Formats: sequence, structure tokens, C-alpha cells
Amino acid sequence: MAEVELTSVRKSYGHVVAVKDISLEIKDREFVVLVGPSGCGKSTTLRMIAGLEEISSGTIAIGGRVVNHLQPKDRDIAMVFQNYALYQHMSVHDNLAFGLRNRHVPEAEIAAAVNRAARILSIEPLLDRRPRQLSGGQQQRVALGRCIVRNPKVFLFDEPLSNLDAQLRAQMRLELKELRLRVPTTSIFVTHDQVEAMTLGDRIVVMKDGIVQQVGTPLELYRRPANRFVASFIGSPSMNFINVNVTAHDDTFILAAQDVHLKLPAARFANLGPCAGRSICLGMRPQNIRLGAPTNNDVGFNGTVLVSEQLGDEQILAIRIGPDEIRIAGIDPDLALPVGSQIEAAVGMDHLHFFANNE
Amino acid sequence: MSAVTSVELKADARSEGFFSALAPGARAALFALAATAVCLLFTFPVFWLVLTSLRPASGVFYVHRGTEFTIDNFHEVLSQEIVLKALFNSFVISTAATVLSLGVTATSGYMLSRFKGPIPNTWFSLIYIFRCVPYVAWVLPLYFVTQQMHIFDTYWGLLFPHVAVHICFFSWIMKGFFDGIDPSMEYAAMIDGCSRWGAFWRVAMPTAVPGLTALAILCWLYTWNEFLFALILTSHETPILTVVMAQFVHELGMEWNLMSATAVIALVPALIVTLFGQRYVIRGLRI
Repeated sequence: MAEVELTSVRKSYGHVVAVKDISLEIKDREFVVLVGPSGCGKSTTLRMIAGLEEISSGTIAIGGRVVNHLQPKDRDIAMVFQNYALYQHMSVHDNLAFGLRNRHVPEAEIAAAVNRAARILSIEPLLDRRPRQLSGGQQQRVALGRCIVRNPKVFLFDEPLSNLDAQLRAQMRLELKELRLRVPTTSIFVTHDQVEAMTLGDRIVVMKDGIVQQVGTPLELYRRPANRFVASFIGSPSMNFINVNVTAHDDTFILAAQDVHLKLPAARFANLGPCAGRSICLGMRPQNIRLGAPTNNDVGFNGTVLVSEQLGDEQILAIRIGPDEIRIAGIDPDLALPVGSQIEAAVGMDHLHFFANNE
Repeated sequence: MSAVTSVELKADARSEGFFSALAPGARAALFALAATAVCLLFTFPVFWLVLTSLRPASGVFYVHRGTEFTIDNFHEVLSQEIVLKALFNSFVISTAATVLSLGVTATSGYMLSRFKGPIPNTWFSLIYIFRCVPYVAWVLPLYFVTQQMHIFDTYWGLLFPHVAVHICFFSWIMKGFFDGIDPSMEYAAMIDGCSRWGAFWRVAMPTAVPGLTALAILCWLYTWNEFLFALILTSHETPILTVVMAQFVHELGMEWNLMSATAVIALVPALIVTLFGQRYVIRGLRI
């Protein structure tokens, strides 16, 4: 059990900077998810914590001890890889015991630790098999077992669910959550899947181009995204954006674009004051938009139906407003909306997000 | 409608080639014929070699109509001390060259596969340059070098050049094997308590065993069959089987029967090695 602290950690390959001065404090037993698109530096950050990549500058401390120059084996960590990385020439039992044998743990203790891990992960019947005789899900469990058998200070997960099919991935997500309760350990989990990030993380670190965009709990990120990138990355379907011009009129702000004319009370949206006379980006989550006329607390707009995606329990509707296309989720699946028909939609004022246009 | 379908079928047949246009039966027959022809092409010389080795000296030119067969040729060659010595030497050189070469090629291939930087790049360039030099061009300089080092006509004088050639040729193949092994396995080992060397030795190497076996067999066969280095770099002290075989051609004529008998004897270990590791050799040749 240990906290992990990154202070101004940077990684560059020649002139290319992969990770730009990341500072992050991960508390003891906290489960932190690094999420972002491919090439955002999340895996590099994880590999630097593991000691598989040298850091260009900054410090990494695990349990209060700076580990910058320590070998991976001396950092007391365990890691699960995307493709499991099981030792193909060893049985499952030997895979689990490998790390303990390297540390010269007595065989009796090894047997006890392996059996405990196998019991936790329900892989006891597989102990004599070779990795290639296992299914993807079973291999993933063995890889997890290899981590927990050593009882390390920190678990590192490098996109461990990416190679599994959708159904198995959902199941493994649940198993990971259960595992956390049984083996509470500081964990850092890298993924590009925002659903994994939202469901697993105590806190989420959103990264882009080697820079941390926002750190927060899943709900914080969902409700108060720091910028347009975080807003678009977190949440599914992703947030709608419309460029609008802000003008101040007495006690209201008018947000206007082609086919959009929203009136917002100035008292409630005082933060729009500095934006008056400029163009900003208005964000609305598809789940917060509903069909129908606006009520007191809403703002409304009209659009043309482009296409509907039927999901069985709901429809997701794409509508055109001026030059923009937005999506509305949670529509009654039985509601027939012909393509080209005009509709009226509304969104609660509490659910409007504003971003600078250049974010 | 049917006209359209037939046009489409013809177009498909044309695009997939002549072979797929044939009826399945004809296709199978053609394949069998081609396979038989290839088999004959490769096995007939061996068959003829064995036949010649079983004929008396007077009958080697009339193999096809003679009825007299003998194993005297084998008795005769095996009674010659030089042939026995050559068999032993060839075996020792082939085995030693294989062991030494594999030791270097495994580490060299691993470095080429896993590391970047000036040392692997220079090594890669060196190997590449040496591979570009025609094989024959090395022999004469090597003759002078072995003379200067006083290792001419010794095991070492033949071993070193063989190992050098193998390193150049097989490091590439070994790199290919290691490229096919997921490096995260080694990273996992490093996290599990191994050093970089430990991860190579305890995880990468055991995983590369099929590749190493294929290389070992190829390396052994290559040295066993090699003629040019053996001819130039050895003499009476260290006779090598391929050279001894060639010495049945002399000023008094060609002793085809004895040469064939020696060749058949030379075939046996090679055949055993190949049959033992056929699976691995095929895998190695694919890379």
C-alpha cells in the first residue's frame, strides 16, 4: 500500500515531447484512471512509473521514496499488460510463482500465495495449463493473479481489457471492481475507453498530447468538464457543440447562431460577461436535451431531423440546426420521426456548458 | 439474368487465374502431377547416388542395366583412415560451429530486435556489409589470416570463419524470431524481479527455443555440407568430409563408386538431423 507522486515528469524522444510536465498525487489505495486518445502519453506515463521508460526530468515517488533510478524490479509494483504478457513456456502455476521465486520466497509461502490468488480469481483448475491453452478472459485472470500474488505497493494496468470482446470486457470490468474490494491496493489504470474510465476510476486523469487536461472524479468530469476536449471525450454519445455569438442586452445574454437564439438571464450566467461580443462554444449533452417546447428553466431551439439510431430502449436522434449537427439521446423508441421533419427541442439552463472556441 | 451470371463467373475465373478455372478433379490431378514431378526431381539424384554406391567400379557407367550389386565400396571407404578422420572432424566442426554461432547469434539477434542506438545500428550495418561481400571473396584473405595466426589446417582455423559467416547470416533470422516474441513478456519479467539479462535468459530465450532449434539444424547442415572454406583452409592434418569426397577425383580417373559411397555415408547424419528437426527447419526457412 502506498501513495504515488509524480512531480513535473517529462518524457521526450529527441525533439518530440511525449509527456509534458505531469504532476499528480495518487493517494494510498486510490484507483486512478489515465484516459485519452492514442498517442496522448498515458501509456508512456505508466511505463515511466513502472521504470520501463526512463524519465527525461521530474521525479516519481512511490510510498514516499523517489524511484527515478530504481530498476522496475526494485519498485515493488506489479503490472498487467494489454496482451497479458504471460510466460508462454511456463504453466499457470509457474507464471504466478515466477515473481516470488525471483525474490527467494520459501516454496511453502509461494504455494500458499499462489493458491490464495488462484482462489480469488477462480483459476484453481487452470494451474497446470499453459497460457496458450487458455481463453482470453482466463489469460487476463492469470495476468491479474500474477499481480496480486506478490502483494505489491502499486498495481499498474496498461489497457488490460482492450483485447477482450465487448461482452467479456464488461464482465472483466465488474470483476476488477470486485477485486478492488478484496485486494485494496493503489492502482493506476490506462485506457482509451471512457466507459472503463468512468466505471472503474475513483479519479480520472484526462490527457491529450502529453498534457493533463483535467483531473477529477468521474462525476466532476462529466458535470464540469474543464475544456471542450474533456467534454467531448467523457460521456457517450459525446457532447454536442454549437458556435454561438454572445451579446449582452440589459439583463440577458443572447447566444445566437443560424437558427439558434437563446436568451439567458445575466444574473444567473454572470460568468458570460467577459464573453460579450465574442464567439464561444456552447456544449449540451445529448442526454440533457428533450423534445418539446421549453419551459421556465429551459432554452429551446428548432431543428430538422437528419437520422435516427434505434437502440431498442431508446432512439438517438441526429438533428440539424443551421450548419451544426447535434444528437439527442433518450427518445422514446416508439416515437416515429420522419427524416426532414421539423422538431422543437429544449435543454435545461443548468445543463449548458460554455467553452472558449480555441479549446 | 443467366447471361449476366455467366459473364460474372467468367470474369471471376479470369481474375483468379487458370488453376481455379479448372474442374476440381482436374485441379487435383494437375496438382498431383506437379507434386510427383518435383519429388522425382529431388529424389532421383539421391536414388542414383545410392545405386552408384552399390555398384562395382566397373559397373558405375552402366548402372541402368547392370545386375551386380556390392557393399564393397562402403567397406573400402570406411577402411581408409582419412575418411573416418574426416567424418569425425566434420562432425566436431559442425557441432562446435553450431554451438558457438548460436551463442553469438542469439544475443546479437536479440540486440538487433530490442535495442535502438549507435551500437545496434553499427552492428547491423557491419553485418549488412559483410553479407554484401561475395562468399568466395573471403576465402583467400582468410587463408592468409589463418596462416599468419598459425591456425591453418586446425579446428580453430576452420571454426572461426564458419562462426563469422553464421553470425552474419543467422543474426537476421534470429532477429526475426525475437521480433515475433512480444517484448511485454520481458517487461513483465523485469517487474517480476529479473534484470534485463535475466529477462532475456529466463523468458525470451526459452520462448525462442523453436527458432533456436531451427537455426541450430540449419547451421549444422550448412557447416556439414560446406566445401569451399574446407578446401582452402584445411589440408592433411584436418581432413574434412566434403574435401575428402572430392579427392576421389584424381589423376588416374574418377572413383565414382567410392565417392558415392562416401556421399551416402555423409548423407546419413544429415538425414537424421533433418528428420529430427523437420518441423523446426520448415519454420526457420519461412523467415
